[in-house]
Amino acid sequence: MTNSGFWAIGSIVLLVSSGQLTKNISKIVNPPGKPAGLEAHETHAGASLLGQFRTSTSSWLWLKTDLYLHNGVELRAQTDAEIAAGEEQIHDADGWHDAIGDEVRHVTAIPAKNSDPRGFFGDIERATQSFSDMHGHTHIDPKSALPLYRLMTWLDPQFLPGWTIGATVLANERKDSAVATAIEYLNEGLNENTQSIALRVEIARLKITRQRDFKGGIPILREASNLAQVADFDPNSEDGESALDAFRWLALSLREIGEFQESIDSAIRGLELFANDPVLMRMANPAPGIWIPESQKAYYKEMGKS
Amino acid sequence: MVPKKPKVPSQLSDYQIRMSFAINCQGLHVRYRSKSGKPVEAVSGLSFGVEKGEIVGFLGPNGAGKSSTLKVLMGFIEPYSGSAKVLESESGSIESRSRTGYLPEVAMYYPFLTPFETLTLYGELQGLKGKALRNETFELLERVGLKGSQKKQNRTLSKGMLQRVGIAQSLLGNPELLILDEVTSGLDPIGRRELRALLQEKNKQGTTLFFSSHELSEVSRICDRILIIDKGKLIAERNLKEVEASLSKYLLTYNGETSLFDLSMEFEEDESGNMRASFATKDALIEAIDRVKISGGKVTDIVAEQGSLEDYFLETLGVAA
Amino acid sequence: MKKLLIWKALARGVVLESVRRKDIWVVAILGLLTILSAGALGFFGFSGLELFAKDLGLTVLSIFSTVLAVLASSRMLPDEIKNRTLYPLLARPVSRFDFLFGKFLGAVAVSWISFSLLAAMVAIALFTFGVTFELILIQYAICKMMGLVLVCAFSLALSAYLTPAAATTLSLVLLFGSSMMLRGLTMAALGSPDLAWLYTSVSNLLPQVGLFDLGSRATNQNWTLVPAWVVLALAGYMAIYSTAMLTFSWAKFRRRAI
Repeated sequence: MTNSGFWAIGSIVLLVSSGQLTKNISKIVNPPGKPAGLEAHETHAGASLLGQFRTSTSSWLWLKTDLYLHNGVELRAQTDAEIAAGEEQIHDADGWHDAIGDEVRHVTAIPAKNSDPRGFFGDIERATQSFSDMHGHTHIDPKSALPLYRLMTWLDPQFLPGWTIGATVLANERKDSAVATAIEYLNEGLNENTQSIALRVEIARLKITRQRDFKGGIPILREASNLAQVADFDPNSEDGESALDAFRWLALSLREIGEFQESIDSAIRGLELFANDPVLMRMANPAPGIWIPESQKAYYKEMGKS
Repeated sequence: MVPKKPKVPSQLSDYQIRMSFAINCQGLHVRYRSKSGKPVEAVSGLSFGVEKGEIVGFLGPNGAGKSSTLKVLMGFIEPYSGSAKVLESESGSIESRSRTGYLPEVAMYYPFLTPFETLTLYGELQGLKGKALRNETFELLERVGLKGSQKKQNRTLSKGMLQRVGIAQSLLGNPELLILDEVTSGLDPIGRRELRALLQEKNKQGTTLFFSSHELSEVSRICDRILIIDKGKLIAERNLKEVEASLSKYLLTYNGETSLFDLSMEFEEDESGNMRASFATKDALIEAIDRVKISGGKVTDIVAEQGSLEDYFLETLGVAA
Repeated sequence: MKKLLIWKALARGVVLESVRRKDIWVVAILGLLTILSAGALGFFGFSGLELFAKDLGLTVLSIFSTVLAVLASSRMLPDEIKNRTLYPLLARPVSRFDFLFGKFLGAVAVSWISFSLLAAMVAIALFTFGVTFELILIQYAICKMMGLVLVCAFSLALSAYLTPAAATTLSLVLLFGSSMMLRGLTMAALGSPDLAWLYTSVSNLLPQVGLFDLGSRATNQNWTLVPAWVVLALAGYMAIYSTAMLTFSWAKFRRRAI
């Protein structure tokens, strides 16, 4: 057989065996089949900054913001095996992860010395890279990640977290000008995403909570709730999560300005989409002392029974 | 005219081996692997010697194995079998290369370096340095006619000027042996004449020259000896003066009854009844003229013809084929 | 001494060619443009931009200097053979190893010059963004330059065995992908203790260029300098791995018909 023949057979053997090896490794690394929203990037142990499972630059930048907040220490989700083995996860000291409802169990991407099989190379990596014991860690000022949010929205204007979280960070500063900047930023996003529920909810929330501008915020929430009723959105997407918020905020805001009927109507409309939501149920079923029109009494009697 | 059978030494004699050779090849075989994977023999059992102080031309058609032989001598490729010695050291060894100057066929020089920088680089690799190297570089560049171009980048130079750079670099360090592949390539007639003068001057200083060329006129002007190679085999090895002598021919046209069979190689009768005889040497011609006169005949014409090296080359290849 | 002169002569030739070819300048200008474009992110004003500017600057520096080092090294041998500039060089009394090593030193010199030029551009850009100078940036530069030596040796080794395009592509893939591959192999080792020895062995064979990149420490806040023993260990690893790669190159090149 010629040299070419040997090379050809050797290449085929290598391809087949590397395919099998990849299968074995992937069970351990547990990459997402298809990234479905942000969670895919954050929950899978194989996802990393180096982009092997990134489908967009904006998603990659999103992970980078996480890196900034953790002062360069890269975290990853624990593998199923690690969770099953009861391996300790990283907690933060200021409760930030809990505050955002972060259910993912994290560990440092670079293993700690006691669990690292690499020996010398592991020691060198821990010394040259940004690695530290992240138990009880705190986060650095999120403002440092602002350029990343800006970049995300420039590269991918349809990437909604870039607008919403960027605005949250902008508005973090307790200044009127900061809120105005954040609202202007969100309006820019709305121009690029005219059907977005999430962006409307954020704008309205800032107007109402920071500027006490109910007159400005409520019409936007009405738009958002109308969109939620007619739009075909993915319940797991940003818009999906914000649809519920739209009804909640609308009902709450209307109640605040004394528009009780419309508040209840809004909550009822929301219950058509989110039937089990306790907040909407409470808003649709006001406490004693709150006026209820005659036409609605039958409804609430029915609600009381269920 | 029946050409002489070329003289091909099958093996060098013990005497020849004991003599001081600048180049000594014995039973050289060079093989390559073709694209299809089959081995191709470029040089097949080549044996020859070049004595110190000689100027030897290495001739052959395209694909004969000349470049392969030169590459073995310089150590660029290893022979499949056989041996090659250069200046009594193994071909390609550091020792042999330190005393040999080499001009490759179609060589390129770093395009963004100047001739001065190029020679400085090669000179430093040769072991030269400092002021001595600098002075030698200037002298060589002037000698090859590049004095005005020594600071121009090589990429701006013409093919002929680059060839001069190549010649200059081959002379760095005053080598004992010069191996030159297609030395006159790209040179104009003036350049060739200047080069010829330079090489002859070097030879007078004791440098051995071994070069291949397709310019047979140049070879005939400068060489002491020629080697002709075809299909990887040595087919002829001749002293150039002998070749030139064998290429000389004298034609005598006469009338009358004269016996010249012992002197002449060829006879023919022309339309007017005159005889035309050809002679290899001048002496035979003179003798023939005398005989014609003595026998009462009349000499009507005498022509001296000088065959070219090209004729010899083509005839030799034709015979070998 | 003679060998030093030979290596120096060859390296100088490589540097002169590279500098005059203006490859380095093009990359430096591209790098500077990339960094200054970060200024367009002044939407938020310059406060808060320092971290991003450092991150971008050091990333650009790392990527471009690595790419330049790969290109300088992976094309060197094949170009010499293709362009026939090899013949007059090897006609000199220079061993093939000396030739290879001299060229390697030239590639390293070109990489270091490019890196220094890019680093100067980055420094100017960072100064514009109000980033203060820290000693860890010096350490970053030293370690990165050691890493470039490894990059050059690795690319040169591949070029001795592969075509220029294949050598360049594989070098870039393995060097930029090494961190990702190493991370995967580490996780595989963590997940399979029985086969950890295999995964660890494979990862030890890959060029660990990521170890020489102190970018994450230099970019973020309040990271201490890397201990001296670590820098020495990196230098030792660089020396050993580069020597292995050069030996690998020489093993092929010494018998190669040209």
